[in-house]
Amino acid sequence: MSAFKIKSMKEKPKIVVLGSGGLSIGQAGEFDYSGTQAVKALAEEGCDVIVINPNIATVQTNPSKNVKIYLYPVTAKWVEVVFAKEKPDAIVASFGGQTALNCLIELDDLGILDKYNVKNLGTSIETLKMTEDRDLFAKQMKSIGMPIPPSVACSSLSEALVAANDISYPVIVRAAYALGGLGSGFANNDEELKALVEPGLAVSPQVLIEKSLKGWKEVEYEVMRDGEGNCITICNMENFDPLGIHTGDSIVVCPSQSLSDDEYQLLRNAALKMINSMNIIGECNAQFALDPNSLEFYVIEVNARLSRSSALASKASGYPIAYIAAKVVLGHDLLELKNPVTGITCAFYEPALDYVTIKMPRWDLQKFKGVVRDLGSTMKSVGEVMAIGRSFPEALQKAVRMVSEIGEGISSRNAITEDDIRELVSKTTDTRLYAVVEALRDNKMTIDEVHAVTFIDKWFLSQIAIITSIEKEIAEHVKPYPKKDISYEDYFLKTFSSISCDTWRRWKSSGFADLQIVCVALRSMQIFDQSTENERLECSLVLRKLRKELGVYPVVKKIDTTAAEYPSPSNYLYFSYGGLFHDPLPDDKKKSAVVLGGGSYRIGTSVEFDWCAVSCSERLQADHWRSVIVNCNPETVSTDFNCSDRLYFDEISVERVLDIYEFENAQGVIASMGGQLPNKIALPLAKAGVKLLGHSPETIDHAEDRNRFSALLDSIGIDQPKWVSALSKSEIDSFIDKVGFPVLVRPSYVLSGAAMKVAYDRLSLDRFLEAAVDISSEHPVVISEFLTGAREIELDGVARDGKIVTGIVSEHIENAGIHSGDATTVVPAQMLYVETVRQVKKAGRKIAEGLKLNGPFNIQFLAKEGQIKVIECNARAARSFPFISKSVGLNLAEVATDVIIGKAPKLTRYNEDELPHVGVKAAMFSFGRLKGADPVLGVEMASTGEVGCIGRNFEEALLLALEASKVTVPKKGILVSAGAEKEKILFLKSCKILKNLGLKLYATNGTAKFLQQHGFECESLAWPGEAERDVLSVIKSGEVDFVVNIPKNTQLKELTNGAKIRQCAVQFGCAIMTNMEKVTAFVRAIDHCKNFEVNHDPICLPQYHA
Amino acid sequence: MRSKCSLALSNGEVFEGELIGAPVRSSGELVFTTAMVGYGEALTDPSYFGQILLFSYPLIGNYGVPPIPSSLELPIPTGIESSKIHASAVLISIDSPSAFHWKSFQSLDSWLKSQNVPGIMGLDTRHLVHMIRSNPCLMGKIEMSGSSATRMLGELDPFACSDDGFFDPAKYNIVSQVSTKERIILGSGRKRIGLIDFGVKWNIIRQLVGHECEVEIFPWDTPISEMDCSGWLLSNGPGDPNQTGDSVARIRALLERSQPVLGICLGHQILSLAAGMKTRRMPFGHRSHNQPVYEVGTRKGSITSQNHGYVVEDDVLPDGWEIWFRNANDQTVEGIRHKNKPFRGVQFHPESAGGPRDTGEILDQFVSEVLNS
Repeated sequence: MSAFKIKSMKEKPKIVVLGSGGLSIGQAGEFDYSGTQAVKALAEEGCDVIVINPNIATVQTNPSKNVKIYLYPVTAKWVEVVFAKEKPDAIVASFGGQTALNCLIELDDLGILDKYNVKNLGTSIETLKMTEDRDLFAKQMKSIGMPIPPSVACSSLSEALVAANDISYPVIVRAAYALGGLGSGFANNDEELKALVEPGLAVSPQVLIEKSLKGWKEVEYEVMRDGEGNCITICNMENFDPLGIHTGDSIVVCPSQSLSDDEYQLLRNAALKMINSMNIIGECNAQFALDPNSLEFYVIEVNARLSRSSALASKASGYPIAYIAAKVVLGHDLLELKNPVTGITCAFYEPALDYVTIKMPRWDLQKFKGVVRDLGSTMKSVGEVMAIGRSFPEALQKAVRMVSEIGEGISSRNAITEDDIRELVSKTTDTRLYAVVEALRDNKMTIDEVHAVTFIDKWFLSQIAIITSIEKEIAEHVKPYPKKDISYEDYFLKTFSSISCDTWRRWKSSGFADLQIVCVALRSMQIFDQSTENERLECSLVLRKLRKELGVYPVVKKIDTTAAEYPSPSNYLYFSYGGLFHDPLPDDKKKSAVVLGGGSYRIGTSVEFDWCAVSCSERLQADHWRSVIVNCNPETVSTDFNCSDRLYFDEISVERVLDIYEFENAQGVIASMGGQLPNKIALPLAKAGVKLLGHSPETIDHAEDRNRFSALLDSIGIDQPKWVSALSKSEIDSFIDKVGFPVLVRPSYVLSGAAMKVAYDRLSLDRFLEAAVDISSEHPVVISEFLTGAREIELDGVARDGKIVTGIVSEHIENAGIHSGDATTVVPAQMLYVETVRQVKKAGRKIAEGLKLNGPFNIQFLAKEGQIKVIECNARAARSFPFISKSVGLNLAEVATDVIIGKAPKLTRYNEDELPHVGVKAAMFSFGRLKGADPVLGVEMASTGEVGCIGRNFEEALLLALEASKVTVPKKGILVSAGAEKEKILFLKSCKILKNLGLKLYATNGTAKFLQQHGFECESLAWPGEAERDVLSVIKSGEVDFVVNIPKNTQLKELTNGAKIRQCAVQFGCAIMTNMEKVTAFVRAIDHCKNFEVNHDPICLPQYHA
Repeated sequence: MRSKCSLALSNGEVFEGELIGAPVRSSGELVFTTAMVGYGEALTDPSYFGQILLFSYPLIGNYGVPPIPSSLELPIPTGIESSKIHASAVLISIDSPSAFHWKSFQSLDSWLKSQNVPGIMGLDTRHLVHMIRSNPCLMGKIEMSGSSATRMLGELDPFACSDDGFFDPAKYNIVSQVSTKERIILGSGRKRIGLIDFGVKWNIIRQLVGHECEVEIFPWDTPISEMDCSGWLLSNGPGDPNQTGDSVARIRALLERSQPVLGICLGHQILSLAAGMKTRRMPFGHRSHNQPVYEVGTRKGSITSQNHGYVVEDDVLPDGWEIWFRNANDQTVEGIRHKNKPFRGVQFHPESAGGPRDTGEILDQFVSEVLNS
């Protein structure tokens, strides 16, 4: 394709692309997918691309030849700083989610675009504003005869009350200008309305009160339109859950399943009419509500930008939406563009699918103490998976296994423990699907009954009934297990050898995994609980062998956008039992490696691991290997059409990886790049005969097995916190008698709530053990010594044959006790003794040697009083890899890949002294979306994303990183509730600085008294509810814009009050910190870099060292 | 368990699957559509006469089948394009056993049974699409043990037509099997449009009637002298445009009236032949809801619904005629028009049903020309 010249622009235009910042609920990895494709497309057209995005862990923020990266907050202020330096010609904001869009509107409102003469490419700002302002949008829809649900925009509570009563309850409340439906929900009466509208108006100038359409079908269309007015729909999507659950929290099916041609075209037509009338250029999403019993419909909304749905649509259809949209935004029309997936068809083409895809959200709500589990119009999920099958049951079963990551999938009985199935089915919670399955299992409820309470289309329910009936057939096939004189394996061999080829096909094409069949059989024999994971795996391999002998194996099918109408070199593949013939053939010409991706994003595994997998794949290709990626997460770059030689969009399970490994004749599997999930299946894969590339199975086991690792540390003389694996209460007691409180409690089996906790005294320990933990010989509890006041240090690096190739030390700003995913990290370390760094590196070398590490690793240390202790060693790439790599300019994932494929990496030792700048990583939280959750940080990770910024010094980098994570420098007032005496003393120094900055100080009673005693003037506030002007009222009134609340962890009353303050701050969009070391660093940085944005010369991320 | 049946292809391949619909043997040209919805519309589209229709989308029957009137009367219900199934047989991957749609009257399986049409499910439909694509003009026959009854194609017995039992619709005038036997007048309005029925889809009639026109539907072979209307719609239909008796000559005579003419699909091909152009058989045709076309000389594209196995060639363009539309994927002719007379033909279906409605303006424009003539 010839380089394209934008009309009225120079040959090689310089274009700013705005990113979406740190991942949060409602705005996650999908924008790395769209942002990365946009950058690739623009660079390919010969543009100079300037990316502004503080999300250091994304692929989008990889610098390259004509792509410059600025890791700065996506706000008008910082974008202007970059404008001033780079003098760009144009800006593109539609690939960076709501954050980028809001920033663009702000840039326009402030006249910054005009001032620097920067042209906005794509949809006009006027149109963007119209789609964001529901009133203007409604007017536009009315003008073209599009039905919209009766609704009124309100800017005060009283207006909202009148509107709701006019429309009549139930109503839905929506906040304008908010992503992920923040401040939105259903209200059945005035009280409920009040509870929604108040916080909604705090973050948004207006809220919308709308007619509730509960029970209607929710259908979306993804639309692409070029500057010539050519318009196509990429695909449509139907929500499994009827309207009422945020689409991000809905199970979504693509294409629609229950719509007739009439309905499909009615809504398609409506979408095109709307998009044309608004003159949208690029990609957008139109959402509709469709009456399940007539052709009546309403327009819900239009997102005039790439969205989570467009990422899903892109992966579901195979059409590279963001890539094409970027070209369209540059001025190409769709007729002149080719679809790169086929190479021959026109980009002006609506994909034909010959499979069904199902997106399923992953919530992780159990990670958030106290959170309300009901789903509604505010999105709560932290990630998603997409499953592809040639039948609905096949796709659904894949999806459930992908998201739950247990072999049993939909047959799991753990998710539903209560008996009152009717009640569970009727509640829209994160576990409702399991309740529906349980209801249909053995006909506890009929399809009609389930439909009556859920409004889920009966067609979907009938498909689930197909699964439960086959599950029953499997259960009925097995006879009671005799006695232990025959091994499980032999028993399965005997029992299942009578299954015919046709029966196997029926089971497998309905999506039953081998391991799942084993679980169903074991449950039917009532010996599931006695069996070990290993035994179940061995049995599943027996079944695999049996069915393969009968010729029952899955076939590889291509996704090509044309349903095979045109030949396509597409490398986008999935496995299915809905067919007998493979589409592509294995390619033996080059050595190939199977790279396992990370699966669904979740708390703890996010875009960082996708970055690792993508870096690994690119490096493999550069080294002339074929890279074969397996992943099931539609929000990723690794699942892009041009990121690997072959992409299997499929399950990351032992069964599926074996299928791929065997089909591809691969040299081996790389399990160390995708985080926890691939690491978990590495050993089972090795047992099943797969060659692991990189760390040996022995190394992985040695690092993972607590006893073995601990013994290693003892043998090489490295200290570790004392610990015990206790099987009884008395063992716990005798351990605590030795080490004392506080202790870290880590149960291996958790009934509910958080998995880890620090117990500071007997009372809190007992409370935790009683409430959440089942101690038995099956489920030991690991109790370890918890050091207070210790520094936490990480060593990230790569080792080859037990020798460290490169190792980089970083330091947490918070003391130990905050999960490393939530901590603020700095590289190079700022406050460590040289001796500590030496000890850390020395210990690292010994561990690498002891474990015979051969690949990427991460070791976590504690340092206190000059002594270091090892917490753990991960024999895999870590979350910190992209941050460390970009901060020091050395791609650790690439170095690791070299080692993994047996190549000696070019030794690129980095030298702390030579780094021109400092990198700081800060965590991004989404508590605003998680009603009821306490935003206090601890040993369990709670952040949903991270940002990383670089600065000329620590303070600059810290301020940027915090601002990028939405903690801005306070301008109004500060509310302090400083917890223990020690914390209060620590705060005094900060207090002085804050006072000098002229900020007003507020404090809770105890803290106020302390501060006043030390000569600081401050307003003392009553605990929540104890006076009219209580601590919550100053937050609500906006008098404070920064809350420091350090929990004391002891008294229950204070805990509850603290939680109320924290939740209130989050709800009203006020910055909050719960850790005093972080507060201290923040305040010091504010003092150090006053107004540093003025005449700031922004630093662009340097390219990686060769 | 459903009984087994087999699909034998003219290239010697045989596939097994499970029988749905009626246990009768059937034969015809094997064609595929990649449309994901609209199976009811497709199966009742007379253009599929003599063809075994394969759906590449694997889940068919999800929303059931609406009630179907036995004859053409106003108002014409949607969801079907004629009163019966015209395809010889149906090939699918998965049949939806029950349908719950508010408009559904029966399941696909029971409809097929009631229409005496066989189908096979459980096939690797994607593999079959590959096979059709790489074997031009592939014929197929469906047979099952224990049944010797045959799905008749109108008056034709497909198994009696050839020695090997493979029925090739290209060899026969099949328009005569699907066209109306009598004239029908529907709707009312200032002007009357003559619709020459080569196998018309009901949505063409719905659209014309909806524009406040009177529509007179003529049997395909009605002598020109017996027809008197203000404009002419040459309908879609099955088979080879060269196998339509003297239709080409009659349409040529009709053109001399210089009244507005719109040809759709087969009607467009017959119009092209009448104008002096040529047609050829395509290796596997265009059958889908996503065919991109563009208006020649502009940057304007449309997504269209198509169902054709023949195409107008562009090497000989008679005086006065021009190419109107082309396919954006393979550049084949998708529309022709006369430079100064109101004659137009489009290969795609501007009336849609099933499929996108993006080119409805073509019908609107035709009707307004008739009304203003």
